[in-house]
Amino acid sequence: MNSPRLAVAQGSARHRALQLGGLALVALVLLWGAAQEPFRVGQLTSVLIFAIAISGLNLATGYTGLLSIGHSAFFGLGAYTTGVLVVTYDVEPMLTLPVATVLCFVLGFLVGLPALRIRGLYLALVTLAVGVAFPELVRRFTDLTGGAAGMVIRSKQLAPPEWTGLSLGQRGVWLYWVSAVTLIAVLLLVRNLTRSRTGMAMIATRDNEAAAASSGVHIASVKTIVFGLSGAITGLAGGLFAMYVGALSPDGSFTLLKSIELITGLFVGGAATLYGPVAGALAVVFIPYYSSDLASGHLSGIIFGAVLILIVFLMPEGVVGVLNRVMRRFVRVTPTSPAQKKRKTR
Amino acid sequence: MDIFLERLFDGVTNGAVYAIMAMALVVVFRGTGTINFAQGEMALFTTYVAWWLTVQGQPVWIAALVAAAVGFVLGAVTERTLIRPIRKRNDMASLIVALGLFTGFNALAGLIWNSESKNMPSLFPAGQDDFTTVGGARLYFDALGVWLVVIVLIGAVFFLFNRTRLGLNMRAVADNPESAALAGVPTGRILMLGWGLAGIIGSFAGVLIAPLSAHQLGLTTMFPILIYASAAALFGGLDSPVGAVVGGLAIGLLEAMITGYVGFVGGTLPQTAALVIIVFILLFKPTGLFGTRQMERL
Repeated sequence: MNSPRLAVAQGSARHRALQLGGLALVALVLLWGAAQEPFRVGQLTSVLIFAIAISGLNLATGYTGLLSIGHSAFFGLGAYTTGVLVVTYDVEPMLTLPVATVLCFVLGFLVGLPALRIRGLYLALVTLAVGVAFPELVRRFTDLTGGAAGMVIRSKQLAPPEWTGLSLGQRGVWLYWVSAVTLIAVLLLVRNLTRSRTGMAMIATRDNEAAAASSGVHIASVKTIVFGLSGAITGLAGGLFAMYVGALSPDGSFTLLKSIELITGLFVGGAATLYGPVAGALAVVFIPYYSSDLASGHLSGIIFGAVLILIVFLMPEGVVGVLNRVMRRFVRVTPTSPAQKKRKTR
Repeated sequence: MDIFLERLFDGVTNGAVYAIMAMALVVVFRGTGTINFAQGEMALFTTYVAWWLTVQGQPVWIAALVAAAVGFVLGAVTERTLIRPIRKRNDMASLIVALGLFTGFNALAGLIWNSESKNMPSLFPAGQDDFTTVGGARLYFDALGVWLVVIVLIGAVFFLFNRTRLGLNMRAVADNPESAALAGVPTGRILMLGWGLAGIIGSFAGVLIAPLSAHQLGLTTMFPILIYASAAALFGGLDSPVGAVVGGLAIGLLEAMITGYVGFVGGTLPQTAALVIIVFILLFKPTGLFGTRQMERL
C-alpha cells in the first residue's frame, strides 16, 4: 500500500480546515448556480431534485442491496400528493412536502413487507408491480388526479413566500434554493444513518443476509424501515418535482422508464457512496442534453446506452467511487480512537 | 359461453407469447444468473429487421428465420463481449449493461427505421374471415398459428435440454459451472450459445406478437411484453423452463379474465391486477411455482 501524501487526523485543526474549505466550495458552487440564466437554473434544479430521488434509491439498492424497479411510483406518489393538495385543496406548496414524505414512507413500508419472505430478483418483481400499478391507478382515479389528461398547477400557486422578497417571476430561483437545502438535509441524514448502528445493519444485510441475521440483525425490520425511508426521500423529491414541472401526467415522468433512469443515475454516480447520487443526477440530466446537442433524437439514446456500458467497464465503482479512490491516495483521514480523544480533552 | 371462449383464446394467445419471452429470460438466467432486461429490445430490433425484409419483398417466413439468425448473433456477441468480462464482478454490473443495451437497441431501431409504427405482416392468414368457430366463439387462424409455433418452440427447447449433449452441457453449466468446467464442458462457449438461443426465442416472440399488437410494430411494442415475461418467469420460478410456460399462460389468462369479468378493475387496471395476484402467490411460494430453493453455504 503506498502511503498517502497527506495524512490528516480526524478532528484535528487541519481536518476541520479541510471540512470548512469543502463547505465553502459547496456554497460557492450553489451561489454560482443561482446566478445563471433562468434556463440553466431550471436544469440545475432538476439535477438537485434527481439527486434527492437517487439518494432515496441509494438507501435501498446501494446500501441494503434491495433492487427496486418501482421507485418511479414513490416519485409519482410524492408528485401527485403535492399536485392534488395544491390544486384541489389550495394548500401552501411547501406544507405539502411533509405530507408527501409521510405517505411515501407508508407506501415504502408496505412494499417492504413482502421482503420478509421474498428475496433477490423476486423482490424486484414486487417493486416492479408497484411501478406498473402507479400510472394505471392515476388513470383509474380520474376525479382525484385528472386521469390520463393530467393535472396543471397554476404558476400563481407556486409563488415564493413573501418573506423571501422574490417576485413570482423568480420562482425558479426560489425552488432552486429549496431543492438545494433539501438535498443537503437529505445527504446529512443519509451520512448519519449509514454511519449509525442501523447503517451497519443495512450493509451487513446486503453483504450476507444469513450471516447478518445470525449476528443479531433483525432482517425484517431493517428491510421494511429502509424501504420506508427510501420511498419517503424519493417521494419528497417527487413533491419538489411537481412544483418544478407544474404539470403532471401519468405517462410523463412516473413510468418504469423513470425508475430505470434513477437506477442508471445511481450506478453511474456510484452505488453506496454518499455523493454518488449527485454525480448520477448530473449525468442523467446533462448527458442526454449534450448528446442531443451533438446528435438528434435516437442517436443520443445510443450514446446514452454506450456511456452506461463504458462506465461499467471503465469505472465500475461509479464516478464518485473512482474519485474517492484517487482522493485516498493523496489524503487519508485517520480516525482518532475514543481513548485518544479523552486524553486530548484532559 | 362464446364470450368466455373468446376471452380464453385471447388469454392463451397473449400468454403463449409471454411464455416464450419468459423462456428466453429463463435460459439466460440459468446460465448467467441475471435477468436480461435488454431481451425485449433485442427482440424489437430483430423484429424490425424482419419487417424491413418483408418490405424488400421477401416472404415473411424467410424474414422470421433471418430475424432469428440475427437474434442468435446479437445474443452470442453480447455475451462474449459485454457480459463475460464483467459477470464475475457482481450482479449489478450485468444489470447495468443490460439497461445500457435496452436504451441502445431501442434507439438504434428508431435511428435506422424512424419511430413511426410499421405494419408487420402475420406469419399466418390474418384476414377478417380466416377463422373457425369453436363452441360459438371465433378462433382466428393467426391466434391458432401462434399457439402452434409456441408448442413447437417449447417442444424444441425441451428436446434440446433433455435429449441432446448440448442441452446436457447447458444444464451442467447452469447447475454448477466449476464442476462442469472440470468435467470438460467448454463453459464459455456453452454460455455464449445459451445467450444466442435466448436471442432466437426472443426474436420469434417479437415476430409473433407484432402483427397481433394493437399498436402494430412501434418502438414501445416490446416493453410491456418484457414486463409480463419477467413477471411470468419470476412467477414460474426463474430457473425453470416449465415455470416460464405455466407463468406466461397464467398471466395471459389472468389479464384476459380480469379485463372481462372484474367490473371494478375493468379495462384500466389489468396489468396491476395480474401483478398483484402474482405477488400474493409469491408470498406463499417465495421462489416461484417451480423454482428451486437456493441453498447458501456459510
